[in-house]
Amino acid sequence: MIGKLWQQGRRLAQAAGLAFALTASGTAAAQSSQQEPLVFGGSIPLTGVFAFAGIHIHAGLTDYVNWINAQGGINGRPVQYVMEDTGYLVDRSVAAYKKIAGGKPPCCYYGDSTGFMKAIAPELNAANATIMSGASFATAITDVQQHPFQFIPGPSYSQMFSIILEYIKSQAKDGKKPTVAFVCSDTEFGKDPIENGRAYAKKLGIDVVEEIVTKPGSVDVSAEVIKLRRKRPDYVIFHGYILSPINEFMVQMRQMGLDTKFMGTFWSSDKLIIEKMGKDADGYMGVMPYNYFDTEDTGPMLEAMREQARKSDPKQAYRPTPYVQGWFNAMVWTEVVKRTLDAGKPLTGENLKAALESIKDWDTGGIIGVPVTVKDHSFPVGRIYRVNAAAGRFEPVSDWIHLD
Amino acid sequence: MRIGDAKQSYLADEALWTSTTQQVWFGLFLLALFVFPFLATPYLLYLACLVGIAVISATGLNILTGYTGLISLGQAGFMGVGGYTVAWLSLHTDLSLPPALLAGGLLSAAIGVLVGLPSLRVKGLYLAIATLAASVFLHFVFMEWTPVTGGTKGLSLRPAHIFGIPLHNDFRMYFVIMPLAVVMLLGARNLFRTRVGRAFIAIRDRDISAEVLGIPLLKYKLMSFGLSSFYAGIAGGLFAYFFRVVTPESFPLSMSIFYLAAIIVGGMGSILGGVLGAVFMTLVPELLKLLTTVVTPFYPEAPVIMSPLRGVVFGALIVAFLIFEPHGLAEIWRRIRRFFHLWPFRT
Repeated sequence: MIGKLWQQGRRLAQAAGLAFALTASGTAAAQSSQQEPLVFGGSIPLTGVFAFAGIHIHAGLTDYVNWINAQGGINGRPVQYVMEDTGYLVDRSVAAYKKIAGGKPPCCYYGDSTGFMKAIAPELNAANATIMSGASFATAITDVQQHPFQFIPGPSYSQMFSIILEYIKSQAKDGKKPTVAFVCSDTEFGKDPIENGRAYAKKLGIDVVEEIVTKPGSVDVSAEVIKLRRKRPDYVIFHGYILSPINEFMVQMRQMGLDTKFMGTFWSSDKLIIEKMGKDADGYMGVMPYNYFDTEDTGPMLEAMREQARKSDPKQAYRPTPYVQGWFNAMVWTEVVKRTLDAGKPLTGENLKAALESIKDWDTGGIIGVPVTVKDHSFPVGRIYRVNAAAGRFEPVSDWIHLD
Repeated sequence: MRIGDAKQSYLADEALWTSTTQQVWFGLFLLALFVFPFLATPYLLYLACLVGIAVISATGLNILTGYTGLISLGQAGFMGVGGYTVAWLSLHTDLSLPPALLAGGLLSAAIGVLVGLPSLRVKGLYLAIATLAASVFLHFVFMEWTPVTGGTKGLSLRPAHIFGIPLHNDFRMYFVIMPLAVVMLLGARNLFRTRVGRAFIAIRDRDISAEVLGIPLLKYKLMSFGLSSFYAGIAGGLFAYFFRVVTPESFPLSMSIFYLAAIIVGGMGSILGGVLGAVFMTLVPELLKLLTTVVTPFYPEAPVIMSPLRGVVFGALIVAFLIFEPHGLAEIWRRIRRFFHLWPFRT
């Protein structure tokens, strides 16, 4: 009864609002929908703890939208990028989404954190109007039942671990079983791939000899280093950090004379580690789903991205990986929207989802070095890169690894 | 100009609303609150719900810190207890919102009483550290008690329901959050017209004198902790139902500081202060964004340049309020009211 009254009240108010809007807009309502811009929205962390990445993600998204508009938009429709700063706070990210969705509804949206992606999922599912990806590579997002309109613009953290473990297995010599240790931060982000990583290592016949959990940004890790010295793993895989305590572990373990190799995932595999550690970063390896901005690889989209970056800011010779990530997100959105429009379907969440799931052997124009196929709303592909400290860059040490 | 404010009985002097004008304004305010969701955009509706939750929690902290003089940095932890209780009940039982929320509030109150035990021996900054320790401990429990709390991944809730109606959107949640906020505010306001509330104030003003007057300190301090945590638990429960996900990162230490700042900026020891502080702390960052939104179409680089400045402006505003009006926004409000009451004369 009360529910019905509420609904009736809302409908009445909405009808009054609609009548007012129609009167006010006059002939504007008759505008051709062909020219209406497609909105790419974003809750972007330009401030807060994730701002170091947020500003580059924003630049990548902005440059891509400028580039696609210069190409004539998507099927002739211009793209409009609307964003709000979130400070990397979930409640602010949700506020930004509501504000942007309350204007011209976005067909595609960038979410800045796993917390936001989880919090907004019920509303996104109910709205059935938007497809969302973003900074999160959380394994939880690959649960298509819970998150039907969200995807990961690369491999999930679990898949990143799988790619690293595949690489480690390929490096095993003389039938020797490689040993690894996992070091992760005491956060949802940090613990995300541990369980799946353990299972995948077992499947590949790799021994996980130690699992260490630390605070993100820890400085004193001497006790943990002693544990690792006892176990002497061939590889240590870090996850859930940007820099510290990776540098502490590396320096202290090398001082002890260990020949362990150090590896990390997406957010700890940018040039920041070279800038901060200098020559001590040499040999550190990371899994990366995209080509680095300064890669020697080529491709039409890679060149377009570099050209657009030069146009928008000629002073910056290098763009960090979040920039490429932002660009790639918008690329996938474009592909998904284009497939939906080409099929003559309206841009609903269901149709955008179907278009995403239809991506198979997609050529990304060099952003990713091999054709990619979507699996469980992710792109399970990556390549291992190693730091060449003298050259100040990451260099590939493996082929592209596409998980089946 | 208002002339004459004579009271003919103690009852009239104690009344919540001492004039018909106040009653009319309050009635109009309630009417505006009722009409608001029918007219508001989803964004404003969302912010209104956030404000409602913040008001409940800030009022809870105000009871403890503003009225009883016991500093607490554990508010986020107590909200977490309420949030996780509601989340667990949502997943494992079919309880409707009222009993689940009540359970969250009561469990939080019980934990609050435990945390309040050191308050008999320690005061001021020492108590702040004790409550901070409790907050860290609760955070540890949220992270590590995986079978119950879901560990670092947290818990995703089913939509709340009340009288069989699912509360799956902000519109419906508003009609739970806002009436609850009003009721809890009235409850808090009434509390300080009772013996218990006056005992809290006596303890705040001078605890030794209060004890000499016959107020058992342990009982009332723990009662204050319990009540404050109850409010926090209810706010946490609403937070959980509103976002439908709780993780340890949903209730960080910065949230406790947020509420402490809210009551300081709003005015400690004033119910209106807690409300104004919560509104200020929630809405001003969003208001400051408006300027960026206006400038961006003409200057696309505006978000990158202006976003960090927004934090500086927000901080400067808080400092300015503390310098120019240490009694908080509530005092500014009182001055504005006094101006109109006495107009055309000046105080």
